[in-house]
Amino acid sequence: MADVVRFASMGTRVELHRFGAGEDDALTAAQHAIEAVDDALTIHRPSATTALNERLMAGKGAAIDDALLFDALVKIEELHASTLGLFDPAADRRFASAGWSAIAFDRGAARVEVSQPVALDFGGLGKGFALDRACAVLREKGVVSACLSAGESSIAVVGEHPLGGGWPFAIPSPLRPDEILVEIELTDESVSISSTVGAGTAAPERAAMIRPADATIVSVPRCSVAIDRLGAHAEAMSTALLVADEDRAERLLNGDRTRRFRFDFPCGAAIPD
Amino acid sequence: MTDKDFDLSRRSFIDRVLMATAGAGMAAAAPWASAAALAAPMAKGDRVRLGVIGTGDRGRALIQNIAKTRNCTVAAICDNFELHLAKGRALVDASTRAFTDHRAMLDAGGLDAVVIATPLDGHKQHSFDAFDAGLHVWCEKAMARTIDDCGAMVKKSQDSGKLLQIGHQRMFKPTYLNAVRRAKEGEIGAITQIRASWHRQSSWRRPVPAGATDRQINWRLYRDSSAGLMTELATHQIQVGNLFFDAVPTRVMGSGSICFWKDGREVYDHVALIYEYAGGRKLIYTSLLNNARYGCEEQIQGSKGTIEPELGRIYQELPPKELALLRMQADVASGHKRTVPIGGATWFAELPVTTPGDSLGWGEYDETMLQFEGFGEAVRTGKPLPGLLSQAYYASVASLLGEQAMDSSQILNWPTSLVAT
Ligand SMILES: NC(=O)c1ccc[n+]([C@@H]2O[C@H](COP(=O)([O-])OP(=O)(O)OC[C@H]3O[C@@H](n4cnc5c(N)ncnc54)[C@H](O)[C@@H]3O)[C@@H](O)[C@H]2O)c1
Repeated sequence: MADVVRFASMGTRVELHRFGAGEDDALTAAQHAIEAVDDALTIHRPSATTALNERLMAGKGAAIDDALLFDALVKIEELHASTLGLFDPAADRRFASAGWSAIAFDRGAARVEVSQPVALDFGGLGKGFALDRACAVLREKGVVSACLSAGESSIAVVGEHPLGGGWPFAIPSPLRPDEILVEIELTDESVSISSTVGAGTAAPERAAMIRPADATIVSVPRCSVAIDRLGAHAEAMSTALLVADEDRAERLLNGDRTRRFRFDFPCGAAIPD
Repeated sequence: MTDKDFDLSRRSFIDRVLMATAGAGMAAAAPWASAAALAAPMAKGDRVRLGVIGTGDRGRALIQNIAKTRNCTVAAICDNFELHLAKGRALVDASTRAFTDHRAMLDAGGLDAVVIATPLDGHKQHSFDAFDAGLHVWCEKAMARTIDDCGAMVKKSQDSGKLLQIGHQRMFKPTYLNAVRRAKEGEIGAITQIRASWHRQSSWRRPVPAGATDRQINWRLYRDSSAGLMTELATHQIQVGNLFFDAVPTRVMGSGSICFWKDGREVYDHVALIYEYAGGRKLIYTSLLNNARYGCEEQIQGSKGTIEPELGRIYQELPPKELALLRMQADVASGHKRTVPIGGATWFAELPVTTPGDSLGWGEYDETMLQFEGFGEAVRTGKPLPGLLSQAYYASVASLLGEQAMDSSQILNWPTSLVAT
């Protein structure tokens, strides 16, 4: 059998396609998992995250009671380190010194303390993080082949393609959709695409890409792609690749040249003809 | 503006009306407009002599517009409030006669027609008196305070063989006419919904000068004299709705309240209505007085695009993005493994589309002048501007039916007892 659900969540359109085996309610359960992440991590309506941010912006510490938010913070700590500090959900265009380094996260005590006012924005992690949870639910429900997409800039697959082998995807240039930047194959993996140009970047809820070192906005026409076992990792890596300077970009790319890509477009290329 | 400049801009305005109304579809949809644009100029001494009843805000604007026409002239003015009459006098020649009683003006003779710009509840009496005096009538919208009175005015005009024209200037505005033409030509596809609003940030209350009463000046706020937002604002927009749908509503439902301005007024300061048209089409109407963000607009929504005539813009629907993932489903079903292109344009939640659209392509000019040139021509030829009166009659009826629906909390059908126009 093949079935699909489509819904709006995480500020975008989400599609879950399942092929073959698995329990009947697998897709519904996966949808609920994604919506739960949205409910906990959104900053566009009241949530555990907005409650936390209110305290952090007042320079106060806070206990983390929400299990999802706790897991997300654990992830962030790990990913901030593995991306040379470039993935930073606390970077803030208004205060150059704000950032993850201003936050002390005590896992044992489930508490966050801050050395200056900061706010967290899970925009750069949330979609991958949510897809990871949905994939886990699908696997638990016996699904062996599925493709999950959050706004088409974050894709995760469970197992192999229904016709065997990896899932083939082509990533078109955000400026010239007829040109393919790279073709990839995924098996039990996720891909995340970040870009400073193209149709999606003008969307109203989309935050600009901020370089954590000096809190400036990355404005060069650029697109990055990262593949990883986990969506949250792919998400953090594509963001880090987008904001990295040449030096650090090389270091990150050298980590896995077959699964990390960065494309710089000529300046002035931002306007497609 | 010099006379020559004025003549030029006037010419280009009329050319625009003619261009907008050219074509077989439009001749049927808005025949009055081209007839008005073709009005023959008349020598000063031969012009249609108008007596204006009511020199309040609107009456004075009308006097100034009549002065721009080439076939009408204001021969007398009348207002029963001395302060307003004096303001009217300041706009006309010293030789123009001025009256405080409209019957005295009618008795004095020397008129071909009257222009009525009095509060709504006066329209019926003033037009009846004018018809009885053997004169044609041009009356401001809305027609009258009740549906029956609107019908009685139509009937009286028919029985006396005199013209009745109602002032709905949008029917003469090139932007609107051009919008209707483009809609008729199918540019925005099948029109299934019109969302119209008139939202203001204002109490709608006027200061009362010495010598006047509140009810006299603020007649819009009291039920005896007005249906408030319905007759004063909604009529214009319901008429636009009827024009684009090329029909009258089949029924109406609505909710009205005095929600914000609890200052002793009797008419609603918030109205929300749905007018249904044949085939399930709808006009969704709201008007309120404490938020001006969405202003005055009619959003004409078709399957291929949208027209916003107040802004003068037309928008095409965006083509649906080809969903690569959807194709993947079909590919797999047919045993075909194909690379899926992704990550181009991110699909965002269904937020409003904010594309700028295109201009409907027409500038501004005062269409009120053209209404009078059309009226002058109708008086000269003895033939009404085709189709115009029924447009006005149905718009007034619809606004009053909306008031009844809100008052009674009932869904009301379009009346079957209307006077044939
Ligand atoms: N088409 C439009 O865009 C438009 C705009 C505004 C008003 N209007 C219409 O114009 C009409 C007048 O509105 P307004 O804003 O000028 O109101 P207004 O109160 O400013 O003017 C009405 C005038 O009529 C006078 N009047 C009242 N009873 C009279 C009588 N028996 N004899 C002589 N004069 C009398 C009043 O003294 C007043 O000067 C209304 O029907 C209104 O709906 C139309």
